[in-house]
Amino acid sequence: MAADRATPALQLRGVKKFFGSVSALEDVALDAYAGEVHAIVGDNGAGKSTTIKIITGIHSADEGDVMVQGERMASRRSAADAHEHGVSVVYQDLALVECLDIAHNMALGNLPRKYGVILDRRKMEREAAVVLKELKVRVGNVRTPVGLLSGGQRQVVAIARAVRMDKPIILLDEPTAALGVQETAHVGEIIDELKAAGKAVICVTHDLDFAFKHADKVTVLRLGRSVGTRTVADVSRDEVVGLITGAIPGDTRTAEVA
Amino acid sequence: MTTLLSRRTRRGPSPEQKEPVTVEEGTSAAEWVRRVMSRQETTLAIVVVVVGVLAAMKSDLFLDSDNLLEILRSSVIYFVMGCGAGLLIIGGGLDFAAGAIFTLSALMASKMLVSSVPWPIAILGGLALAALVGAINHVVITYWHVPPIIATLGMFYMLTGVDNLVTGGNDVIGLPQVVQDIGQGSILGVPNIVLIAIVVGLWFWVLLERTRFGVNVRALGGNRAAAVANGVRATRVDLALYVLSAVTAGLAGVIYSARVGSAQVTAGGSSTTLIVVTAVLIGGVSLLGGLGSIQGIAIGAVLLSLIDNALVLSNIPPQYNTIVVGAILVGAVAIDHLRRERIFRKR
Ligand SMILES: Nc1ncnc2c1ncn2[C@@H]1O[C@H](COP(=O)(O)OP(=O)(O)O)[C@@H](O)[C@H]1O
Ligand SMILES: [Mg+2]
Repeated sequence: MAADRATPALQLRGVKKFFGSVSALEDVALDAYAGEVHAIVGDNGAGKSTTIKIITGIHSADEGDVMVQGERMASRRSAADAHEHGVSVVYQDLALVECLDIAHNMALGNLPRKYGVILDRRKMEREAAVVLKELKVRVGNVRTPVGLLSGGQRQVVAIARAVRMDKPIILLDEPTAALGVQETAHVGEIIDELKAAGKAVICVTHDLDFAFKHADKVTVLRLGRSVGTRTVADVSRDEVVGLITGAIPGDTRTAEVA
Repeated sequence: MTTLLSRRTRRGPSPEQKEPVTVEEGTSAAEWVRRVMSRQETTLAIVVVVVGVLAAMKSDLFLDSDNLLEILRSSVIYFVMGCGAGLLIIGGGLDFAAGAIFTLSALMASKMLVSSVPWPIAILGGLALAALVGAINHVVITYWHVPPIIATLGMFYMLTGVDNLVTGGNDVIGLPQVVQDIGQGSILGVPNIVLIAIVVGLWFWVLLERTRFGVNVRALGGNRAAAVANGVRATRVDLALYVLSAVTAGLAGVIYSARVGSAQVTAGGSSTTLIVVTAVLIGGVSLLGGLGSIQGIAIGAVLLSLIDNALVLSNIPPQYNTIVVGAILVGAVAIDHLRRERIFRKR
């Protein structure tokens, strides 16, 4: 990828996070570039979701830096600020508001207005319908409350939401965990398209097949540390599995492509 | 395939996008009927009509236009307070201080009025004091992490004491004629205070249904964590909600004083707090947040006032009033639960 030499779209250095006395992240580093899909893999509790939440500002890091397009982010900031800095995200656990319909959920945090104050529902619904159509998502009426959708449908609506925001950096936390085979393939296609559109896509996943199929780089988290980043084309599955389980010791300097 | 985002980033239609994207509204008549009938407002409107028909059968006075106007007039207080209180509940909060704020604002405005302060300033003074109390509630809840029910209940007790202290327990009487004219007069046969309630109701309807703020309120009440994660600025919205709840309580207190010509220390209080929350819940606002409408709150307010009136006209002893209201409240919340179960299936 030619983007390698450019400034990383997203950079983490020495990120640490404690929840009370529990150390969730010990030392996480990451470089993600525009036009690349960067997978983050690791066992349950390795700190993948916490890393995502630190990037978006839901949690603040106790130590370390988060840099977006080379600019260092304040450690205390709200989720609303992340949008402004060009980051959109699909969370694993807190994605959508059940009592609002699909169109409202897709625009939440960035609702279109007309005459300065009035909500532009027509535009909101049209935009939602356009994005869903482009992503070939079939969830029926955009006025359907999200509470009525299945887990898989909610997941694609959440992804469509992030796509609609059209930000240069997209974070996806286990986007395929709730999905069947066909839906997973569909999400893979969407990720490929995002990459082709020049986005920096960071995708947490459990599914190594998925990571090997769609990612350019993979970073392994183990017990709150990033133990290695590899170029997918050059790494074997066994090596990644070894890093995840600890059978292969991690790199001393993390986040550098070996 | 690869044009997905660039196409949308570039504004304006592109050739492939000629084919219109439909929002797929349910347009058939059957669909419309199904939607309307599934709303709590519809159930309530039917209850209102049934109670009305029963009352009309029991008493010839009921359908008298003066009586019908009186029902509307006495529902104004519940409704105006209910707009702010209901919006707050939709947003996931609760305000038990409302009844004491009602009294506080009425006393403040009336004290200023009898000291010859011009009436618009006196009223604004009463409402500003209410707004301050709402802001304090917000601070205690947000920054001291006291649960809303406790914070506002504590505020209720403190304000009740203040209300009694500053007046020495005496009502403020003899409000200027101009204020009484506003409270008691009517335009083309419609009482002024009903017109005020309609304006307040429309304003709140627009706020809830047609602004970003309204969507953010529903989002916070429906799923706070998801709303915040998706960029809703919760603290700002909460502040506005507690202030609005307090201001409508204050406004209701001022309207009541203008209507009766004095500010009474015993008006408002815990019974007002409870009856307003009751009207709001009967009107289909969910105590769990997210769901509810201004139309529903209006019907809830009218229903309470209607029941009151119908029982009096039917010579049914007043004790039955609270029995009926309590039963309706429990029934309404049970229906709300069924509705939520239907809307929000487990994944
Ligand atoms: N809000 C929280 N409070 C306390 N501990 C947390 C919180 N969130 C995550 N943790 C802990 O941090 C560690 C990493 O969790 P998480 O990032 O969710 O892991 P992953 O997504 O990789 O499965 C776990 O030990 C988890 O229990
Ligand atoms: Mg996780």
